[in-house]
Amino acid sequence: MTAAYPHPQPEPGGPAAAEPDIAHAPAAEPGTPRPGAAANPGLPRPGVEPPGVEPAGAAAPSEVVVDEPRRRLHPLSPLLSGAKSIVVIVAALSWQTLSEVGVERFALVVAVIAVAVVVFSVIGWLNTGYHVVGRELRIQDGLLWRRNRAIPLDRLQAVELRRPLLAQLTGLAELRLEVVGGGKTEAPLAYLTVREASALRQRLLALAGRTNGAPDPAAQPAAGPPALERPLFRVSNRDLLISQLLTPQAFLLPFGVAFVVMQFVLEGTWTFVGIASTVTAMAGVLLQPVRRVLQDWEFRLARDPDERLAVSYGLLETRSQIVPPHRVQSIGVTWPLLWRVKGWLHMRMDIAGYAGPQSNDDKRSDRLLPVGVFAAGRELVWEVLPGVDLATLATLPPPSRARWLHPIALRSFGAGLTPEVFVSRSGLLTRELTMVPYARLQSVRVVQGPLQRLLRLATVYGDTAGGRSGVAQDRDVAEAWWIADQLSTRARQARAATPSPPHPSPPHSASPHSVPPHPIPPHPTSPHSVPPHPASPHPIPPHPASAEPAPVEPGLHRPEPDQPGAPEDDTYWRRPPRS
Amino acid sequence: MTEPSAPAPAPTDPLEPWPDTVDWRPVSRSLITVELINRAIWVVAVLAGLTVGWVLNGHWGWPTGMAVVLVFAAWRSVVTVRAVKAWGYAERDNDLLVRHGLVIRRLSIVPYARMQFVDVTAGPLERAFRLATVQLHTAAAATDAKIPGLPPEEASRLRDRLTALGEDRAEGL
Repeated sequence: MTAAYPHPQPEPGGPAAAEPDIAHAPAAEPGTPRPGAAANPGLPRPGVEPPGVEPAGAAAPSEVVVDEPRRRLHPLSPLLSGAKSIVVIVAALSWQTLSEVGVERFALVVAVIAVAVVVFSVIGWLNTGYHVVGRELRIQDGLLWRRNRAIPLDRLQAVELRRPLLAQLTGLAELRLEVVGGGKTEAPLAYLTVREASALRQRLLALAGRTNGAPDPAAQPAAGPPALERPLFRVSNRDLLISQLLTPQAFLLPFGVAFVVMQFVLEGTWTFVGIASTVTAMAGVLLQPVRRVLQDWEFRLARDPDERLAVSYGLLETRSQIVPPHRVQSIGVTWPLLWRVKGWLHMRMDIAGYAGPQSNDDKRSDRLLPVGVFAAGRELVWEVLPGVDLATLATLPPPSRARWLHPIALRSFGAGLTPEVFVSRSGLLTRELTMVPYARLQSVRVVQGPLQRLLRLATVYGDTAGGRSGVAQDRDVAEAWWIADQLSTRARQARAATPSPPHPSPPHSASPHSVPPHPIPPHPTSPHSVPPHPASPHPIPPHPASAEPAPVEPGLHRPEPDQPGAPEDDTYWRRPPRS
Repeated sequence: MTEPSAPAPAPTDPLEPWPDTVDWRPVSRSLITVELINRAIWVVAVLAGLTVGWVLNGHWGWPTGMAVVLVFAAWRSVVTVRAVKAWGYAERDNDLLVRHGLVIRRLSIVPYARMQFVDVTAGPLERAFRLATVQLHTAAAATDAKIPGLPPEEASRLRDRLTALGEDRAEGL
């Protein structure tokens, strides 16, 4: 299918030689592990970058074909993973046990457990290995139940490099691959040296990027010195601290401390165990903001030379995640109530493979912006979903008769269709906005409950693989039907357009370092400003007065005529005739 | 029979959209029997439990409970008959439409290109009535495209068609 779409990217020397061969594409079978790619550059696979244009491509594929030997994890890994389990066990034993059995016996028990854990870890380490075969990463592990897992790299969603505290001290890192279909990370490789892990990550991503019709295959790294990342944004740690102080938990802290102190004063018991238990309990309450601060510390977002998003953050455990932009399933923007005084927002990107929305927030690596002002959010949205401007995303609230269902919060709901994304918002106190690109829609649902039927309303869901759905809550029935139809039609068109970049960004140059590939140039020095850029073909329109997507009055709003793609959207704002 | 799936005027009913272009197909009526038998088994089990309690205890609450269960079962049976008639699916060029539900009405639009795998299941009771259930899965957990009460031939035809179309138009995520 993909061969039917011409490559729009200007590739030096590539397409002219490659184009006629696409007709013979079946000769290069998709299943073969590409030995011919390096040997026979005249035979490209359909929809795949012709290997001749890859500067570094000559070395990589030939390396792939070799059935390389199984590699072990780093010899220190059993100690490190053992240490983790020991901490868990000691935590489970708790202070109570310590006070009952005494320090010596407690230490003895811990020592015995530690030895047992390490022995098991070492045996496990001996049985664990990984290697790259063709376009697959194979991982063997398991002690009693052996597991031999093959991960097709074209299914790779994101790769993350995690370094817990102990790993940072020892110079090791854990490599986590995200693939769709697992409730948890399917392939944690713990631990490798940092150099090894980064090299493996680069290699896996290069292999992964080769088939899937990535929107930017032309931007392969040059063979020479490693190209630098283009920084997009960084969050100042001061903002992060303040933002976490502006949470309900932090506001409740003084009361908690007062309560504890009162209790001690009244009861007059100042034992070590008592204090330790209380502190542990307090930590439980306080954990959320503190953990957020520790996790999102030193948050940096960049684009790597291949135009993927590179996110890194964390203090005790550093995480560095690389996400190809077309793997972002949806973007969610949140305006917490207490952050409104600062005009801050929080953004997350949903990636398939990370567990669903119910899972623990800390385990998910879905941060796009832990805290930032509107302008920063706007810039990042434009980076991740080119052509989507957070400031002009217009939504329309449900018809006023939905007030029967939402007496207070009616105006906080809204939905809209822009040329690129399905937008929906909700929430009165904590406002949320969800953007789902049409190309990432998995299915569309229309649901109508009994009350909605009485009021002639219906709710439209646009499901994504990221676990969250775009929801057009309580629309007029005719409108809901129209939205559903539009969603499925636009999703189909967007999917069909996927082999070529669906967004209005300028075609990528073969040398991404000389020309900024996106309209907004990086401004690492002043991340809080959206710079006007008159030379870009689609500059962001001027900033509106309000810092939030204000509720749009029905009948008042019309999309600006200069907005790209606005005319085709016009029908949405002219509401369907009421029956 | 007097009340087919969607009596409302078509253009404003979210379960009957695009009446001109979409050809809705009903599921087999035998599904009503299967559902009723399922419910009967459940009701008999509950009634047996309540009877044992009544015999042992003799309190007036037990027969009241039995009456409530019976009334509830009767009401649910009426709903079942209508719900099965409301269940429908349609194959369009690019997507599969499934609608179901009476109290809460749901319509799912699932593009073939988004299909990850297809399940065909048949329980013992369904097999006795020559029925099967086809479920289409996408990468989104929320997708809800399940078609029960299909004759086996139709189920395998649908499965083959869905997989063929899915392969034909498959896309990455």
